[in-house]
Amino acid sequence: MKRNLQAGRPTSGGLSLNVFTDAEIDDIHLGSLEILERTGIWVEADDALDIFADGGCIVDRETRMVRIPPYVVEDAIRSSPPKSFLCGRDPDMDIVLEAGRVYVSNFDEGIMIVDSRSGEYRHPVLQDVREAARLVDGLSDIDAYESAVHPTDVPEVTASLHKWEAAIANTGKPVGTEATSAYDVKKLIEMATVISGSDDEFRRRPLIGFGVCPVSPLKLPRDATEVIIESSRAWCPDTILSMAMAGGSSPVTLAGTLVVHNAEVLSGITLAQLTERGCPVIYGSSTTAMDLRLAAACVGSPELALFSAACAQIARRYLIPSFVAGL
Amino acid sequence: MAGANQIYGAGMIESGVTFDFGQLVMDNEFARMIKHVVGGIAVNEETLALEDIAKVGAFGDFLSLDATLKHMRELSQPTVLDRRVREDWESLGSTDLAQRSRARALEIIETHQPVPLDADVAKQIRGIIEAADKEKGVA
Repeated sequence: MKRNLQAGRPTSGGLSLNVFTDAEIDDIHLGSLEILERTGIWVEADDALDIFADGGCIVDRETRMVRIPPYVVEDAIRSSPPKSFLCGRDPDMDIVLEAGRVYVSNFDEGIMIVDSRSGEYRHPVLQDVREAARLVDGLSDIDAYESAVHPTDVPEVTASLHKWEAAIANTGKPVGTEATSAYDVKKLIEMATVISGSDDEFRRRPLIGFGVCPVSPLKLPRDATEVIIESSRAWCPDTILSMAMAGGSSPVTLAGTLVVHNAEVLSGITLAQLTERGCPVIYGSSTTAMDLRLAAACVGSPELALFSAACAQIARRYLIPSFVAGL
Repeated sequence: MAGANQIYGAGMIESGVTFDFGQLVMDNEFARMIKHVVGGIAVNEETLALEDIAKVGAFGDFLSLDATLKHMRELSQPTVLDRRVREDWESLGSTDLAQRSRARALEIIETHQPVPLDADVAKQIRGIIEAADKEKGVA
C-alpha cells in the first residue's frame, strides 16, 4: 500500500503543559507593570539608582525607591535576547537555552553535605566542589554544573574564585556561578579569559554565567545590582532569580506571589538592559510557598512545581530563556 | 513539560540545605526519564507500524522483528533503578537504590576523567586567586 505525505500536517513534537491561558498571563504581566510603576522597587546601591534614573525611571534618592514606567520594562523585555548560550571548556558540551528546550543542572550552594564515603553529615570543603563537578561531568543527563556546595575551608571573601577554579578544572560542561560583588565578577572574568585565550574569544563564547537573587518583597540589594551591572558590561549570561515565599515574603495566593516575583525579575532584567542593551539575561525562579505551620520554605512541594511551570510559561511569553527550580 | 530551559535542583535534599552525591546520581536517572517523557510519542508511517501489526496478527510476537532491533535503544533504560523481580534482586545482594547510587557516584568520582585543563592555564588562574587573596588580606 502507498501512503503518500500529508500536506501541512501539524505534529505535537513532544509533551507539553500550560499553567495559564494568554489572558491569565496578561493579568500577571499587567499586575507586575502596575506594581513597578506605582509602588516601585527598593534599590540599595547608588550606581544602580543612576542607571535607572538615566533610563527614564523615577528615582527617590531618600527612600531609594525606583518607579519604572511600563514602556521601560517592556522595552527591556524586547531587547533581551531570545536565546542564551551556556559554554563550557569543552565546546561539545555547550548548551543553548531557547524556545522550550529542556536541560537539567544540579542544585546549587548546599551548606551541608552527606559524605559519600562515610555517610557523615558535615560542612562542605573545597574537595567536595572538585568531586561534585567531576561527578556532574560524568553523568549523562546533568547538562550544566552549578556551584553545588559552599566550602568552609577557603576565605569567605574570595570563596567564589576558589569555587570556580575547583569546578572548572573538573568539568568540561558549562559552569554557572554565584558572585557577590563587582570585584568577584571582574576576577572571575579575568580567570575565565585565561582559558578563552583572548578578550575577543571570551566575548564570543563566555565561559561563565552568573546568578543573582532579588530579595522579596521588591528589593534589589547591592550584591545583586553590582553583579547584574558587571556581567551585563561583559556580556555574560546572568540569571535573575527571585525566591519569594508565598505567605511570608509575598502574598499567600499563588497569583499574587507571581505578580511580586515577576516584578522583581523584571526589575533586574530592566537594570541589565539599561546597562547594556541586548545583553543576555535568564528569567529565574526558586519561588515557593511557606509551610506556615513549620515556618519553613518547602522546595519539594506542589506549589514549587506550579510556580516553576508558571515562570517557564511567562518567560516563554517574553521570549527570554528560563532557569527554574525543580527535580 | 512547561518548557523551562534549565531546571536545577539535582542532588539536593533537606529542602535545599544539603547536597548528596548519591541523590545526584538518582536525579540524573530521573532527568533522563523526564527528558524521555518530554520527547512525547512520534507518530508517522514507520512508528504506526501497520504492516508489522498485520503480519504478526493475533498469535505471534514482535520480539524478533527488524523494527524491534532497530528501535529498541529508543526505549528507556535505567542504570541505578532496578527492574528485576524480587528473586533476582535478592540473588544480586538486595542492595537498595541509595546504596547503588552512592557506589556509582564514588565510581565516577574515582575513575571519570574530565577534559584536562592545560597546566599553564591552571597556573595562571591560581596566580589570579592568590593575588586576590593577598589583596583582600586573607592569604
